[in-house]
Amino acid sequence: MSLSDSQFMRYSRHLLMDDIGEQGQQRLLNAHVLIVGMGGLGCPVSLYLAAAGLGGLTLCDGDTVDQSNLQRQILYTPEDYGKPKALCAQQRLLALNPDIEVNIFTEELSPATLAPSYDLVVDCTDNLATRQQLNAYCFAQKIPFVSASALGWEGQLVAFDFAASGNLCLNCIIDKESAEPLLNCSNSGVVGPVLGVMGSLQATTAIRILVGYFKQHGRVQRYDGKSGQWLTLNAKANPQCDICGVR
Amino acid sequence: MPLSCSIKPAASPATGLLGLNMIKLLFFGRLGDFAEGVAPNIEARADLTPAKIRDLLAADHPALFAELSQPQVLISLNQMIVGWEQPVFDGAELAFLPPVTGG
Ligand SMILES: [Zn+2]
Repeated sequence: MSLSDSQFMRYSRHLLMDDIGEQGQQRLLNAHVLIVGMGGLGCPVSLYLAAAGLGGLTLCDGDTVDQSNLQRQILYTPEDYGKPKALCAQQRLLALNPDIEVNIFTEELSPATLAPSYDLVVDCTDNLATRQQLNAYCFAQKIPFVSASALGWEGQLVAFDFAASGNLCLNCIIDKESAEPLLNCSNSGVVGPVLGVMGSLQATTAIRILVGYFKQHGRVQRYDGKSGQWLTLNAKANPQCDICGVR
Repeated sequence: MPLSCSIKPAASPATGLLGLNMIKLLFFGRLGDFAEGVAPNIEARADLTPAKIRDLLAADHPALFAELSQPQVLISLNQMIVGWEQPVFDGAELAFLPPVTGG
């Protein structure tokens, strides 16, 4: 399959890059990505992936748009108050790029969400239980998993390519039995563009994996927007891990 | 604020390199706000672990101790994520990172 004239124009800035080119763009157009959580991270992730020509996006979020979301959730407007986030996002993303397919689930993550097959999952949720559910799903399906979170001035990203590497997963780094900390975005706040930084990094990482340049399985990136500092940490597989350990 | 007698602040060597028997401490992100007055380097000794270092901070830095006792705090030893009971050796850099959970 080759690109249409309109696709040649739309994606010309990818096509100009030797290490993406027509072949890389075709990989993006053929890929279907699941984005779970359409809040502060899901908005930039989905905007960039839709613009980049990810052929299929599935958005999952059970929430409706609230006035307090608009400080950081850049897909939504006051006209969206009370409407499902996934539905509003689908309309915006298709307006941005009618060339792609956007499916939605307007409820929390459920077996129905995970029934179709995906090429990659982006975790934009706000709780460990859902993150761990997605980690286990991606490990079992042997598909890449790009997870991020943010709070206050800080963000964290970790990605796994389970198609290429069989051990080391999110549960090796943060035990799934861990309690939730007291602080979250609802009770302690978050700087909007910090979510933009981390969401852009998630979208970049997803594109990097799909085009074929990912070698950082399980590496943790941390950003502190207050000091402007970045930290990169390595992690080791836990042989006793419930998800990826040897049993 | 003086540290408890069990953690001695180390003089910064002029070279900027860690001297022997020292462990460099880093409190990333918002943990830094709770770590004012904590010496950047501490004296290494036998059987030191991240858990023991946290406990040694409790008396003089109760707010930092409380933050370090939150679930999902990450610990890294020379840029490798480790557990609370990992032995900490001379010359190591030990970082504590607060949990980041929102989306
Ligand atoms: Zn694991």
